[in-house]
Amino acid sequence: MSKKKTKNDALYLSDRQPLTTAKLISLVISYILLILWAFVILWPLAQIVISSFNGNQGSYISIGGDYKFSLKHFNYLFNETYFWNWVTNTIFIAVATALLTLLIVSFTGYAYSRFRFSGRKASLMTIMLLQTVPTFAGITAFYTLHSIIAAVIPGFTRQLFLILIYAGGGIASNTFILKGYIDGVSTELDDAARIDGCGNLQVYRLIIMPIARPMLAIIALWSFIGPFLDYMMPSILLNDPKSYTLATGLHTLINDQYNMQQPAFAAGGLLTAIPIVILFIALQKELVSGLSSGAVKG
Amino acid sequence: MKYGTTVLDDIGNAHPRKNLRLRERGVLEERLEEADKSERAAIRAELRALPKKADHPYEKDLQSVRDQEKKLLQGARERRQKFLSEIKDKDPKIRSWLLEAAESEERYRFYEKHLDLSYDFELEYKKHFDIADQLPAAAAERRALLDELDEAQADLKKAQTEDNSAAKAEFEEFRVQRIAERDAEKAKLKQMRHDGIISAKALANEQKMSDLAADEDIKSKKRSLPLAFAKDRVRNIRHKLKIDAARKEKLLNADISDQRRRTPIETNKRFPWISWLTILLPGLGQLIIGQRLKSIFFFLGSLYIYLIAIPYSLGYGNYRGDGIAGLLSLAEGGARLDRSIIFMIEGVIAVILLVLALLLYYFSFRDVHRNEKKEIKGIRLNNWFETRSSLKVDGFPFIVSAPAALVTIFIVILPIAVTILISFTNYDPTHQSKFVWQGLVNFKQIVAGQGIAGGPFWLITGWTIVWTLLATSLAIFIGFALALLVNQDRVLGKRFFRTIYLLPWAVPAFITIMFFSILFSPQGPLTIALNNLLGNTNPADMLNIKHTTWGTRAVLIMLQGWLGSSYIFLLCTGILQGISKDLYEAAEIDGATGFQQTRHITIPLLLYQTAPLMIGQYTFNFNNFSIIYLFNGGGPFEPSKYGNMAGTTDILISYIYKLTIQNQYQGIGSAITVVVSMFIMFVTWIGFSRTKSFKEEKL
Amino acid sequence: MKVELVNIGKKYEGRESFTIRNIDLVIESNQFCVILGPSGCGKSTLLRMIAGLNSITEGDLLFDGKRMNRVEPKDRDIAMVFQSYALYPHMTVYDNMAFSLKMAKERKTLIHERVLEAAKTLQIEEYLYSKPSEISGGQRQRVALGRAMVRKPAVFLMDEPLSNLDAKLREHMRVELVRLHQSLKTTSIYVTHDQTEAMTMADIIVLLDQGKVQQVGAPAEFYEKPANLFVAGFIGSPTMNIFSGRIEDGLFRTENNLIIVEPNEEDARKLKDYEGKEVCMGIRSERFNAGKAEKNSITVKIDVIEMLGKEQLLYCKFPDDQEVVISEPGYFNYGLNEDHNFSFDVDGLHFFDAETTMRIN
Repeated sequence: MSKKKTKNDALYLSDRQPLTTAKLISLVISYILLILWAFVILWPLAQIVISSFNGNQGSYISIGGDYKFSLKHFNYLFNETYFWNWVTNTIFIAVATALLTLLIVSFTGYAYSRFRFSGRKASLMTIMLLQTVPTFAGITAFYTLHSIIAAVIPGFTRQLFLILIYAGGGIASNTFILKGYIDGVSTELDDAARIDGCGNLQVYRLIIMPIARPMLAIIALWSFIGPFLDYMMPSILLNDPKSYTLATGLHTLINDQYNMQQPAFAAGGLLTAIPIVILFIALQKELVSGLSSGAVKG
Repeated sequence: MKYGTTVLDDIGNAHPRKNLRLRERGVLEERLEEADKSERAAIRAELRALPKKADHPYEKDLQSVRDQEKKLLQGARERRQKFLSEIKDKDPKIRSWLLEAAESEERYRFYEKHLDLSYDFELEYKKHFDIADQLPAAAAERRALLDELDEAQADLKKAQTEDNSAAKAEFEEFRVQRIAERDAEKAKLKQMRHDGIISAKALANEQKMSDLAADEDIKSKKRSLPLAFAKDRVRNIRHKLKIDAARKEKLLNADISDQRRRTPIETNKRFPWISWLTILLPGLGQLIIGQRLKSIFFFLGSLYIYLIAIPYSLGYGNYRGDGIAGLLSLAEGGARLDRSIIFMIEGVIAVILLVLALLLYYFSFRDVHRNEKKEIKGIRLNNWFETRSSLKVDGFPFIVSAPAALVTIFIVILPIAVTILISFTNYDPTHQSKFVWQGLVNFKQIVAGQGIAGGPFWLITGWTIVWTLLATSLAIFIGFALALLVNQDRVLGKRFFRTIYLLPWAVPAFITIMFFSILFSPQGPLTIALNNLLGNTNPADMLNIKHTTWGTRAVLIMLQGWLGSSYIFLLCTGILQGISKDLYEAAEIDGATGFQQTRHITIPLLLYQTAPLMIGQYTFNFNNFSIIYLFNGGGPFEPSKYGNMAGTTDILISYIYKLTIQNQYQGIGSAITVVVSMFIMFVTWIGFSRTKSFKEEKL
Repeated sequence: MKVELVNIGKKYEGRESFTIRNIDLVIESNQFCVILGPSGCGKSTLLRMIAGLNSITEGDLLFDGKRMNRVEPKDRDIAMVFQSYALYPHMTVYDNMAFSLKMAKERKTLIHERVLEAAKTLQIEEYLYSKPSEISGGQRQRVALGRAMVRKPAVFLMDEPLSNLDAKLREHMRVELVRLHQSLKTTSIYVTHDQTEAMTMADIIVLLDQGKVQQVGAPAEFYEKPANLFVAGFIGSPTMNIFSGRIEDGLFRTENNLIIVEPNEEDARKLKDYEGKEVCMGIRSERFNAGKAEKNSITVKIDVIEMLGKEQLLYCKFPDDQEVVISEPGYFNYGLNEDHNFSFDVDGLHFFDAETTMRIN
């Protein structure tokens, strides 16, 4: 305190009011709370990392025992489970969902923003409301519907059906978000492009789409991440462990006594989480803005 | 509909009738309207006394002109040979244009003489006049382009055979020189940066621009080499030729269409009867009133109706079901392999197809009906060119939204419809293959809390509400508090804290939930740690979270607080950063302390801006299946109160899952789904209708 | 190119009445035509119809005698500058300017030449490879002009292009646009609500109000011979003083006889038919002579003085509180609340029929 005083006497450069004792105490309490919460967050996450590398763990995770660095759980994951299948399945479903969503929503977002047609508002509102119904409400129908479609179109796998469900479920909200973004683009740009020789589709492809790219990227990103996070739909629809996604696949490692391999689950979870965490940290602003601009499902 | 003395064109301008017979009637009809009772009889008599259509002098005149017209049209074939021999040009397009122009000239000269007789002649006159006027000019322009193309191609040939090494050398020299120039520019920029005149960012920017400029210059120079230049020219002229003809024809059509819009039509018809007569066969009405190409599309619709929609709904071409009938019977009394659920879904599909068919009927009828009414008024029908162009403009949004609509119908609407239907059946473990309609039984069971499945409904609903309110509020509270704490002025390491607090949101929830589930399992590390803390060493009285209802519930709520706070924190941080500093400075000048500022500025602003999203958080947790199911599978179980299917921590959504997927009580599961969905839709609607974007949306 | 509008009208779908109707207008080749009017008068609609962005419900649009109603915008040989400039934000200045020619698949060398040429004329060569967001408002304005010039259009359409610039820059660009027009000699149609722009730039002004042409003519005509009361009130700053009264015995008098004016001979002749009828008399602020005269004089109290340097505007009040604005040379000495005499310059009077609002003299 004394040191501070001398400083004060000399020159006070900060714009802020000098620190009073009460404020100092509240600041210290703030720091304690912040650090405490940081610990609460980090401890369990750290346990995932530690147990996945701990060679002394058996099929169950225990904490406080000896620690020995080892990659054996990763070995188990890669060699004894369908981990790579799950990874490729999930990526396939995620990429296909993102592409399909982009393709459909591009058109609808543009149409709903730039064209006035009858039933425009009513249709969007209806579907928005219908989509608040939990996706798996229709699960009995999905089941049977798939078997009907598969009978008509051979090769229509359950994974493809899952993609359709993911993409279809997001159409209304994504259309709404993209429409809002395109509404913010001046229609004079459309006019200018028309005078310069563009037709409807060219206006979208050459002018609107490049401008709306940030929002399209967010929509694509959320559609891409969705299948990584969802446990329920694949657990209901997919029946062969080889066709599982990461969420359902990893669950098999802790689900029953025979397959129990908790450290391997931790290892798999770690591998899944790392890229997604990096993505989230790098793009947090965009992702949050995407969420708040229209409350994406999920 | 009265005839009247005038007809309206598409713009709404009135034109006097040219058809004298109809005009006479129109005059009398108008008089009849105005006359009082005593005169009416006389006027009616006059009306009856009017000559019959065949005897009317006007009709006779008209007929004689029509005969002449017929002759004129028959002569077209002979004239064609004559005209063709006169046309020297070889280009087929030009030949056809000139031919058409010559024929049109012949025709408009004919119609010119009969303008007063009928609007049809007037239109023919205007139309052929436009053709005769525009096509020769178009042909001349095309000829000029073709000549230019010939010339350009000759140049190209020359350029190909000529030695172009000199030009190439010159280009090479230019290129080297331009690159040297660019490098000099860049060097100068670097020097400037070195001297500190410009910033690093400016340097990078300027260098990029310098590169682009040089690139563009070189590319352009390269394209101006004789060979490249000639190639470009040929390509350009070819492109022009390609689009020019289509453009000119389109323009001519558009002009003719304008003439149609402003030239009325006179018809004997007073009542739009065709639309009523042809209502059952879309396409026929269009054909009769003369829209041939359009009728093809509606006939395709008819094919859909009579070959797909109706047969399917009658049970033909079904996968296993029986169309609409299947929806009623639900395969009752059917073969062993017949499954009610398939009958139901195919029934719903049949209904969807039928609804589409009905829409088709309606649109076709409306189309014909409107057109007939227009014609009675005096407005000409759209020709194919006009229909097509209006479809391109007005139809665009529908065409591009069609895939979305298709996906939505089958992925969103159909499953929901089926779920609603199932809720009225006795679809349960004993009726997996065959089930029957049973009205509101399921709903009654739910409301009364009876039966195997309906029993625990109210218990579960109670916990669902407690869970939703507590878990969400806790997450919101933590997120709010963290955001306020971190974003204090004096806190250092904001970035560090933000990154850590983001982690629960960033790590996929299923991983953390499953991992916490492991930690809290009977032998799990946290269970052991907890018992050590409480001093329970005796295995018999060891506390096991997953086996105690309230323990599991408390942990679930805390876990959701842990998971959900992250997103709230990020959201609030974003908003806090957006709040203008002026507000705080103004408050400070007004004498507000830090705490008061938070209470009166920050929190109200945060609440105001995040309110709709917070509602979203509550509905999210209401439906938060993963955390309940993955943490403890809804357990622990208490069969005496909850029956065999539900656990004590199950919420409605996981209960539905267990009923429907695990225990095959689809009927009652669907009934609960319907109730829950209506509730959620209601809440979402309230939240949604208050958002700004919804209110500002105008139609 | 000569632009003719013959009885043009526009009715939007779903609306009962015409937004604009019966517009007849001839813009000679190389003329600079300004369409002036208050906001919502339909001037932008008219321009968009000429551009082909809005369809024409009624009438004919002719370019050099050729009917253009249904020609697509890109084929009309026009270029348009928008209020917001409408530069494509994701393209460089170069690409913005080259876009229309690229869409027409023009030769690359030609595109390059044209872009460089336009850039040179407009002095934006330095920014050719910048994005629109990296340059200032004035430069963006130039790029928008450049994008239009590159097409070498036969008609230049401009929709309030200067309204987004600050006052100083606007003045500068005004001069520059006139200079550009003089060098390019392209028929130009310019829409604005700013009468200064119209008066300074136009060869011919079209004043629109409520979907109807109020007056067409050279700028000076608008000032000197407004065709009706609306034009009289719209053009000129300060606004023309307008008094309503009636003609009695060849004299104009207001109801309370505060103003009695004897028109000059020519006006008197035209006013003969209006004996005993209501008319409005207008006079611009600078057509008052200071001091009392035998007739046509008024006495007013000075309420506010606006000193502009070379002249001063006197906001005066009659005894019945009716207001009148008078401008006098700046060196005259006036004080607030003083009563002064002024007389009307009878050669600067405008008479309008009170019923039809049309000009009489």
